[in-house]
Amino acid sequence: MSETGAVRTLPVGRSRLTPGRVVLGVLIAALAVVWAAPIVWAVAASLRPFEYPLGSGNIWFSHRFTLANYFKVGSLAPFGRYFVNTVVVVVMTLAVQIVTSTMAAFAFANYRFKGDRILFQIILIQMMIPTAALLVPNFATIRFLGIYNTRLAIAIPFFGSAFGTFLIRQAFLGIPRSLVDAGVIDGCSWWQLLVHIYLPPSLAAITAFGISSVSFHWNDFLWPLIITSSDQSRTLTAGLVRFTQLGEIGAQWQYLTAATLIVAGPLFIVFLIFQKSFIESFVHSGIK
Amino acid sequence: MQRSKNSSNLQPVAEAGPGGPGVSVGGTKSKFQILPYLLVLPTLFFVALFTIWPTISSFVGSFFLQKLNIAKYREPSFAGLANYASLFQDSTFYHVLGNTAFYVIGSVPVSIALGFLFALLINRRMRGIGLARLALFHPTVLPMVSVATIWLFMFTPDYGLFNSALSFLGYRGPENWTGNPDLALIAIIIVAVWKNAGYYMIFYLAGMQSLPREVYEAARLDGSGPINTTVRITLPLLRRTTLFVTTIAFIGAFQTVDHVFVLTVGGPSNASNILLFYLWQIRFENLNVGKASALTIVLIIVLLVFTVSNFLISERRSGNE
Amino acid sequence: MRRSVLLSVLLALLVAGTGLFANGTTETPASSGPVTIQVFYPVAVDAPIAQILNGYVTQFEQANPGIVVKPVFSGGYTDVKTAIQTTIQGGGKPPALAVMLATDLYDLINAGYIEPLDPYLAKMKDSSSYLSDFYSSFMDNSRYNNKIWSVPFQRSAVVLYYNKDLFAQNGLSAPNSWASLATDAQKLTVRNGSDVSRWGILWSTVGLPYWLFQPLAIGAGKNVVGPSDTEVYFNTPECISAINYYNSLSHTYNATPPGAQDTWGVSPGDFASGRAAMIVHSTGSLAGILKQAKFNVGVMAVPGKQPGTYASVPGGGNLYILKDAPQAQKDAAFKFIQFLTEPDRVADFSIKTGYIAARKSAYSTKAMTDYIAKVPQAAETRNALQYAGKELSVQDLAKVRDIFQNYLQQAFNGKLSADVAMQKAQTEADAALKEFK
Repeated sequence: MSETGAVRTLPVGRSRLTPGRVVLGVLIAALAVVWAAPIVWAVAASLRPFEYPLGSGNIWFSHRFTLANYFKVGSLAPFGRYFVNTVVVVVMTLAVQIVTSTMAAFAFANYRFKGDRILFQIILIQMMIPTAALLVPNFATIRFLGIYNTRLAIAIPFFGSAFGTFLIRQAFLGIPRSLVDAGVIDGCSWWQLLVHIYLPPSLAAITAFGISSVSFHWNDFLWPLIITSSDQSRTLTAGLVRFTQLGEIGAQWQYLTAATLIVAGPLFIVFLIFQKSFIESFVHSGIK
Repeated sequence: MQRSKNSSNLQPVAEAGPGGPGVSVGGTKSKFQILPYLLVLPTLFFVALFTIWPTISSFVGSFFLQKLNIAKYREPSFAGLANYASLFQDSTFYHVLGNTAFYVIGSVPVSIALGFLFALLINRRMRGIGLARLALFHPTVLPMVSVATIWLFMFTPDYGLFNSALSFLGYRGPENWTGNPDLALIAIIIVAVWKNAGYYMIFYLAGMQSLPREVYEAARLDGSGPINTTVRITLPLLRRTTLFVTTIAFIGAFQTVDHVFVLTVGGPSNASNILLFYLWQIRFENLNVGKASALTIVLIIVLLVFTVSNFLISERRSGNE
Repeated sequence: MRRSVLLSVLLALLVAGTGLFANGTTETPASSGPVTIQVFYPVAVDAPIAQILNGYVTQFEQANPGIVVKPVFSGGYTDVKTAIQTTIQGGGKPPALAVMLATDLYDLINAGYIEPLDPYLAKMKDSSSYLSDFYSSFMDNSRYNNKIWSVPFQRSAVVLYYNKDLFAQNGLSAPNSWASLATDAQKLTVRNGSDVSRWGILWSTVGLPYWLFQPLAIGAGKNVVGPSDTEVYFNTPECISAINYYNSLSHTYNATPPGAQDTWGVSPGDFASGRAAMIVHSTGSLAGILKQAKFNVGVMAVPGKQPGTYASVPGGGNLYILKDAPQAQKDAAFKFIQFLTEPDRVADFSIKTGYIAARKSAYSTKAMTDYIAKVPQAAETRNALQYAGKELSVQDLAKVRDIFQNYLQQAFNGKLSADVAMQKAQTEADAALKEFK
């Protein structure tokens, strides 16, 4: 449900340059430069030949560029397989999360039933407890289920999502009663209510949730490492770990940054392409 | 079509309708419906299995003495409140609590405020604004481990980017961010803020772009300047966004310690040791299972207290609107 | 629009469904046929460890049909230990073999994760000469209660790297005492204005401060730890003088950044690029330094207090057999240990990775002698071993080490004087160790 174009809250600036606008532009540009400096440096460092350690000359660019670091890093860990595994895990997690969260959100938003408040609070507890604190018990459960060292094991603790339920419920609650009542009067079953009345205006919220989920699980580090014991099912962050923990030798910036960019790259590029629609989805997600 | 603003009520509009359990929307029957329970069941199942159950087992475990690095304590033995006593008598625990409080107070308001300011700046039509938005948001899509590693370089004394920038601006103070006990926690806060401010900016952007134009037109006609407008109009209208962002920011501050692992390992001298990291140490380095369970429960209680009160306050407030 | 929503939901369910089948292998059940063992292995250097190890595995499997070896690369030492802990405590079977820190010995014994290797050694042809071929400073961390619990594998030591060209240019010879180390560092520090463009020496005391500090204590005359697993010696005049010496390097000689310095990650790069004339670091960084430095790199043990004395301390990881693995796997694992520690292989591993070869006879192999002819520093790292004292390893190690490092850093940062700091450290450490006596 989109209004005609994005609503401007501040007065639309006149399109000719005023001193105020110039100053503002400079300020924003400076801010962006500062904020982006670390990642720009990381890119520069990853292209720097290993023979030129940082600190000599300058820290930005030596006089040669090379992709050798990427090849070296790529050879030290099976990033191709990691990439596939990460995609599988992330998509699987998100798909199930959307289904379960939408159903639960629908229940909480559309019905009043005994214990609904308590159940909602119980579910919200998940948002509060860090996974790291529950490593060992969850490991035991995974073992009990017989799925140790699988991609399913990485994903399954997150199949129920408190955050998703919360966000989607929020969006559902914003749907005008009149619409819902109209649907009921028309004789809609609960399924039709959900699909035709509740879902369409809430797609934006679901997208917003999707972005959060993908970001989180793409970059999740500790749990996937613990619950897998071979490269077969591991995700991209596992490859990263080999370069951040070089205990014996200190920081090899060229390799560290190359590995980081390999891991973070895909997500980054996806965001680059879909920036506008991602932001739009947050706008319309009903978080006000 | 106007969207109604009653996003807080849990009940369907039930004028004189019957209350009671399992009442479906607009229904006049009061028969018990199993459907909502079934719909909630999958989510509940997974949350119960992977969050609630392990928490309960931690709770039970907190009453048992079990230290894996001492042979005679390898098997758990009932110890009552001994673990909690050991925790509350540990001076490091209080140091950690203090650090955590400082960290949360230092990182959460700052990143939210920055998020809001960024949104104010970014919320306009200007050439290249998309690029600026990307620059501010991109840390969110990077893994924290990578972020911390990059900042390891930033904090390098003398030629690290952060220190170069500071000295360019005239700063002549201490530069040993990760080795100086007075600076280590600040370093951790800086990294957290850099990573999160852009994420909160998006929520505020979304909120701002949904605000009604009429109010702003009226304010402009009244001669309200930009600062006044922001403080008196924008900020209050975004109260719900602020509440939402505060909740996830607060919870997030307790949940991420990857940067501590990479940058300071809790030091020097426990100067940057925060709750979750301390939990890690007790559990996997000191191998004190019982005490770690006790600390887990303490951590959960702290978070519960905040979140529940936050939720109640928000419910009550919007109920009064 | 609605149809597409429905479609996407169905698609999602489909993906989720296939996800249930898109799995890697679950735990391999013990079966008749080849014995399969897993080796949990940390990657702590940037050498292509996976390739090297996989190469050894292939050779081993060819020589031993009936045994399949699966290396699992789990991150750093911490991750390996965590993975094993989580596995065992979660009720799973641990891998048969793992490489973990040599200093983890007591924790692993107390937790019941490892078992002594004596029964396996007894079946060997000549176990006593096998054991005595390992450098004694490495074997120190394998003995407890008159039993052998691990075999040294990827070991390193703390050394002093120095820029030979810079020394020659300034008319200096390699330092051989605390005094000459300090004055050399002072002379080689270059400042312009308030900036330092070259430090005389970089000596990290953040991260794992105890390791780089131990040679100073040893060089002062008394190590912080002895043969006992329940005694530490922090509050000694030697240790205190070591701390004061370290502080003097910055306060008196202005040759190193003041306070607890976090230079572990950057010092190899700084040294190679000429921003530091000397660094104290691990032998593991040698390979990287040699690749980057454009000058003559000197390697030596850390000078001791008295002229002509030197000190070092070992580090790194050993091979452990995990107790709860099935016996057939454990037997196979020991065969693999023997294979990995054959002198030729030890030499090959050392050359390719930069770790010190753990066996003396490895240094007489042809491959090694050829290598040393080209890279004399490789012999110098081994030479530093003769001055090595025992690496800090006692019961409740994590806690005791934390206490030590806490107070060390306070002394370095000037929050406490060295003697007060060490007194407190000693008291707290003794309290922690009391249970184990």
